[in-house]
Amino acid sequence: MLWRIDATPGRSITWTLSWFLFIAGIAMYFYASHNRHLENPDDKVIPSLNQLAEGVENAFLKPDSEEAAPDELANASMATKFFTSMLWTDTVASAKRFLWAMLLLIPAVFLGLHMGMFPVIGELFLRFILFFDKIVALSVLPILFIAFGIDELSKIMLIVIGVTPTIILDTFNLTKSVPKEQIVKGFTLGAHDFGVTYRIVMKQILPRVLNSIRLNLKAVMLFLFAGEMIASQDGLAFRIALLRRHMGMNVIIPYVLWVALLLFLVDLGMKVANKRLHPWFREA
Amino acid sequence: MAKLIELEGIGVVYPVHGQAPKTVLAGLNLEIQRGEFIAVCGQTGCGKSTMLRLILGAEAPTSGRVLIEGEVLARPDRNRGYVPQKYSLFPDKTVLDNITFGPEMEEFNILGRMTPKFFRRRRELRETAHALLKQMGLDPMDAHKYPDQLSGGMQQRVAIAQALIMRPKILLMDEAFSALDPATRSGMQRLLRTLWAETGTTILFVTHNLHEALYLGTRVVVLGKQNSQGSSNVIADLSVPASSRNDDGQLRRDELDRLIHQVEQAGEPQLAEAYS
Ligand SMILES: Nc1ncnc2c1ncn2[C@@H]1O[C@H](COP(=O)(O)OP(=O)(O)OP(=O)(O)O)[C@@H](O)[C@H]1O
Ligand SMILES: [Mg+2]
Repeated sequence: MLWRIDATPGRSITWTLSWFLFIAGIAMYFYASHNRHLENPDDKVIPSLNQLAEGVENAFLKPDSEEAAPDELANASMATKFFTSMLWTDTVASAKRFLWAMLLLIPAVFLGLHMGMFPVIGELFLRFILFFDKIVALSVLPILFIAFGIDELSKIMLIVIGVTPTIILDTFNLTKSVPKEQIVKGFTLGAHDFGVTYRIVMKQILPRVLNSIRLNLKAVMLFLFAGEMIASQDGLAFRIALLRRHMGMNVIIPYVLWVALLLFLVDLGMKVANKRLHPWFREA
Repeated sequence: MAKLIELEGIGVVYPVHGQAPKTVLAGLNLEIQRGEFIAVCGQTGCGKSTMLRLILGAEAPTSGRVLIEGEVLARPDRNRGYVPQKYSLFPDKTVLDNITFGPEMEEFNILGRMTPKFFRRRRELRETAHALLKQMGLDPMDAHKYPDQLSGGMQQRVAIAQALIMRPKILLMDEAFSALDPATRSGMQRLLRTLWAETGTTILFVTHNLHEALYLGTRVVVLGKQNSQGSSNVIADLSVPASSRNDDGQLRRDELDRLIHQVEQAGEPQLAEAYS
């Protein structure tokens, strides 16, 4: 019965099933870690719980070691410690780049919208953007470094090159998919080109555009991390790359989980905002 | 009665990829007087929607001219209302906002919509919208719902209200009731006839259902194949005077038989057959 396609597992079974792989994964991890530590107590490849706890404390509660740790921080509160920690400094640095990239997606959405609405703009940009979309963003990284230097601009440009063509083309296609009836209707109700563009078409596609951006968050992070790993003095990916040289697995693993948590929260935030802003929208 | 719309020798040819171009309409002439209720009827694919789009200005004819009060207009505008079969409402706006959308767009630009005058005017418009909803037989409770929370019949009522608030010179409806169940549909037909009688708006209603056309129109225009090339033209132009109807608006039996016979004679026996 349980294996049939029309099975209806109860609450407890559903709950157990959905968490099973997490628990099994964690168990297997600590089993492997335990075995390695029996052979070599100083093993760093699969850190034990104690090593992980130490790594978390170092990363989450101690300031970046390169700045000499001031003594007054010793009795500061947990929150103060956290907000001066290495992890937090790195998070802020990466978040700044992330936000810049997100801001640059706004013009991308507008470009896609106008390309879809105004044939002349569409013809001007479409072929070029399609070409741009095929460029492997990482392959132009050297060009970016040469052109913009290895500072912030080239890292943000990498994200822009990697993600904006997709967003532009997605918005373009969404704009094109608005039924012709709606546009004619707009004209018959006294709207002009911009009224139809912003008050009818844009309003209708906005929730879908936001969903498309949500789907592309991973790509944004991918290019952000690539840029940071290759040329950066700070940021989450810079730290992970740096720690690799010292085999700092006990910090890398918490960093990876932290990044996953952040991405999950950003995605969730956008999902909730989308629902709130567009109560009429039903996800297909 | 004055000429509102003239179609002069209309031809429409669509290019078809990899094939000979398709002639949909050829040499079509039609005059529409102010205050008429024209029902355009014909089999599927005969070019009814194409003709409606021409009058709307959403499309230009390959040959001939479409004159609205003697002028060629290149684009749909506020004088020609439109109620399509699908996508007739803006899904992101409530019923009330859908109805007031037209006047708001027409009277205020983006800066104007931030002035107190706009909010005063909007209050007035909402009252008008409420009155229209009532006229359409809709519950005031529905005013703040979104279109997809309404039944198909309710959506089309709102769509009619949305078009009527502009007081268009002509209301163009394309299979507006075709997606409705029979009971809702006949209710909507009765409503539309009442609205036409009350507002005096010129209406052009496209349908493939002869029954609907005969019930609604003061004039029924039948489009049909005119030759072996498959292009369509007006094959029957029947006037349905008020005197041929009973008090409830239904056609008298003898009138009905006469009109159906005429449609058969004109070369559309299938239309007449589907009727009975
Ligand atoms: N943009 C177009 N390109 C090519 N052919 C078209 C186009 N629009 C319509 N046609 C063709 O023109 C003919 C008439 O189409 P139209 O939509 O006007 O018919 P209709 O009478 O409204 O039919 P229905 O009752 O099915 O709605 C059809 O054969 C259709 O295939
Ligand atoms: Mg049609």
